[in-house]
Amino acid sequence: MSTLQVKEIQGIVLHGYGSLNHAGFLLLQVQNAALVKVWLGTLPLRTSEQRPEAADLCINIAFTAAGLKKLGLAEDQLGMFAGEFTEGMTGTEHRRRILGDHGESSPEQWRWGGPGNDGVDVLLLCYAGDEEALNRVVERTVGDYESRGLRLIERLGTVKLPDRKEHFGFRDGISQPAIMGFDEEGTPGNMVAAGEFVLGYPNAYGQYTDRPLVRPEQDPLHLLPVAPEAASHHDLGMNGSYLVFRQLSQDVHEFWNYLAQQAPGKFAGDTTQACIALASKMVGRWPSGAPLVNSPQADNPALADDNDFMFVRSGDADGLKCPIGSHVRRSNPRDALDPEPGSDRSIEVGKRHRIIRRGRAYGPPAAASMQPGEIIGKPADNQERGLHFFCFNTHIGRQFEFIQYTWVNSPKFDGLYEDDDPLIGDRGATEQTRGGVFTVQQEPVRKRVTGMPRFVTVRGGGYFFMPGISAVRYLASLK
Amino acid sequence: MPHQEALTVIARIRDGQVTPLKKMLGSIREHHESWDLVPFAKLARVHFARFMVFDATHDLDSDSLPPQLVLLTNVDAPLSDHLEELATVCADGLDRVFAHCEDYPALNARSPTTRVQFLEQHSCRSDAVHVNRRGRSVEQIRQEESLRSEIDKFLDANDFDAVVPATLKERITAFVRGRSDLAWALRPPEPPALSWRIKEWAHKYFSLLAVLLLSPLILLCLPLFLYLLRRHERRDVPDTSSASAESIRAFRDDEDFWPHNQVVAVGLFKPGLFRESVARVILRMADFATRHIYNRGILSGLNTIHFARWVTFDDGRRLFFTSNYDGSLESYMNDFIDKAAWGLNAIFSNGDGFPRTEFLFCGGITDEKAYKRFLPTRQVQTNVWYSAYPHLTTKNIANNEAIRRGLSERMDDEQTREWLRRFGSGNRLSESGWVARQLDSLPWERICRHCK
Repeated sequence: MSTLQVKEIQGIVLHGYGSLNHAGFLLLQVQNAALVKVWLGTLPLRTSEQRPEAADLCINIAFTAAGLKKLGLAEDQLGMFAGEFTEGMTGTEHRRRILGDHGESSPEQWRWGGPGNDGVDVLLLCYAGDEEALNRVVERTVGDYESRGLRLIERLGTVKLPDRKEHFGFRDGISQPAIMGFDEEGTPGNMVAAGEFVLGYPNAYGQYTDRPLVRPEQDPLHLLPVAPEAASHHDLGMNGSYLVFRQLSQDVHEFWNYLAQQAPGKFAGDTTQACIALASKMVGRWPSGAPLVNSPQADNPALADDNDFMFVRSGDADGLKCPIGSHVRRSNPRDALDPEPGSDRSIEVGKRHRIIRRGRAYGPPAAASMQPGEIIGKPADNQERGLHFFCFNTHIGRQFEFIQYTWVNSPKFDGLYEDDDPLIGDRGATEQTRGGVFTVQQEPVRKRVTGMPRFVTVRGGGYFFMPGISAVRYLASLK
Repeated sequence: MPHQEALTVIARIRDGQVTPLKKMLGSIREHHESWDLVPFAKLARVHFARFMVFDATHDLDSDSLPPQLVLLTNVDAPLSDHLEELATVCADGLDRVFAHCEDYPALNARSPTTRVQFLEQHSCRSDAVHVNRRGRSVEQIRQEESLRSEIDKFLDANDFDAVVPATLKERITAFVRGRSDLAWALRPPEPPALSWRIKEWAHKYFSLLAVLLLSPLILLCLPLFLYLLRRHERRDVPDTSSASAESIRAFRDDEDFWPHNQVVAVGLFKPGLFRESVARVILRMADFATRHIYNRGILSGLNTIHFARWVTFDDGRRLFFTSNYDGSLESYMNDFIDKAAWGLNAIFSNGDGFPRTEFLFCGGITDEKAYKRFLPTRQVQTNVWYSAYPHLTTKNIANNEAIRRGLSERMDDEQTREWLRRFGSGNRLSESGWVARQLDSLPWERICRHCK
């Protein structure tokens, strides 16, 4: 087991900054690379050494492939980054297909990161305990932008909803992988090799994921560490990670409105109860966060942060408690899939497709309390709200994109027919990949709802690289 | 129900005709909806079909290999009916495509008979063919999907909350009985022809008998074999080059239009008598395994493959592998590494440039980086690809059949409950045979740790 170099890894990778309720994400363009490099050299980046306190101000930074190129990174080094990163989130028709970026979510419609938008080079993440402190840290860090050689494309705000909820009204961010060599606590089924999230460490296959290495003469100041598996090279990728960022707009009104049309009659109780019952089946957790596997009949706030369950081993092989197509089951199937559901082998295979999620909600809540009972029935207010989804991984194709295509958007997940993710699925771009059905397994026979509209629309996104601290210094030193 | 046949036609492309032929064939991304020139959809027996072009290249002795056009189909037997249909229903398209090839009948000599002759003369035996489920015809697959879909609608339209399982099953059966268009479903599907089953049976037991008789000799040769194998494995040089970003992107651009995808890989055998012999024996074993061990929906732990085949060509110098499978190429490659490495290592490690194996079964593609880098260097574009059921996965198809079979089966209460759970989702596959289960549960990771 390798111990992580926490002083070298940017803080947001290993910590969620949960104590810092305010965040601003700055999309920046490099105007003057020389000035930007001076700025980079002095940037006080928060590391993963310590979990932040409420009074702390934290800054982290990530770059697109275009940004790295502008800073002067050589082509041969750029070519060693993951193909997904250098091609970009919108780079190919194929990638749009597997991510589900079609129709209203097609990159041509995006607010940022699309082919028609200003090119994003740098993503600056700023966190603070209150809004005033946040503004102060932004001001101190970038000032008037121009003197730093930067141009602000957009500052994306965030909101902290009560009880860590997302906008549909469910507690979010409960399940995260435990990282070997960093997290001391964690069940064996949730303990994942560090190299899945941080480059330069062995991954779930026991290998070092490909990443940019440089020849010693390309690093004359010896700013970079020596590559652990190739001593003749310095490691530009080490302690870095790929950041996947997607702005997901949530149509809260449409979501509950659809449930109000479908749930009553199919599920017990009054309209509100029936809606919450069906919505919880779709999520796989109750609004409080309690998992259906451990609390199948009713919500139980005492289990709000319960993440200690499997599917098959917890006696739910058939999805009678937590439906097979539910959001939590398909975004992290734990022991549910091949080669042998319920076995250690299946858990090990599942560990090759995990991500660390660090998203934050944005936009005004549909109801201040975020209780579904108060959200249901509210008239549409046409407010933009949603999730700034972002996650860390080292193999975008095997992790984020795999989850997105093979599990979330796939209408065929684990033997289903036309069921994509009820919450965030893309409903399919073609006749053959059509989704929009949600099946609730139960006795004596399943119930299902059909014709589900898309509740989540993509408004922007990009693939970023978040370098290790030394790699940022190296970038700052590029000629 | 008929068993399935795999047709492989390989024809040498005439000088200067590669470019116009490729232009005519286009690419999957251009016509994944339908390709009118050769309308495979009009042929009743076709499960999958494809056209592809192998470019001119050279072998390890620098002898040149000509450009070739390849037509592949997976069809319901008899093959002769399929050839006949191709030569008549698709006559025009077939003429236009194969006119780019040597030996194709001249304009005035083209008739169904001469076309069939051409196809037969240029057809090539497969070394091994995996059929997800032998004996399941295109017609059966389509019928059972419509059965499932109609029952699903029936279930949607009624409230069965208070109904006990046995009664619900009776009501579903009564619904099917009441529909004249679904009445066929009340009988289980018929097995393949008796003559074919006897032939397969004979193949199985004669092969086993032959192995038994040869076993003393095999045991005697084993030490020498292992010595030679290790020597080769240490000396063989893995190909560490990468395919260009453009070619990888071109492959991706043809993928993920449907829930299933295809892949084709072509490679040269490693040189020398030893590798040649090992490859021959292993392919024989693969043939045996696909016919008699992995014949119930699962191939070496993978249950997502509709059809796959291995074909030796160019006078035994090259091998191609093609597969039609569910999900993305990324998930397919991960499945190979995670679930089927040993079987694929045994076959493909006899191919030139393959990642280094240990004792035939270990290493190789378990090196994720090496394998994912290697595959695109051996991949070939498929220009035209047809599926008779592009919206159905192997799990859907197997589940639909289980629903149909259940209609005419007597069940106890627990069995009825399980059968009813098949509506809406079916991840319960029928079990593999005993030998397959033993093979799939071998602890390869532990075994291979000792191989290093």
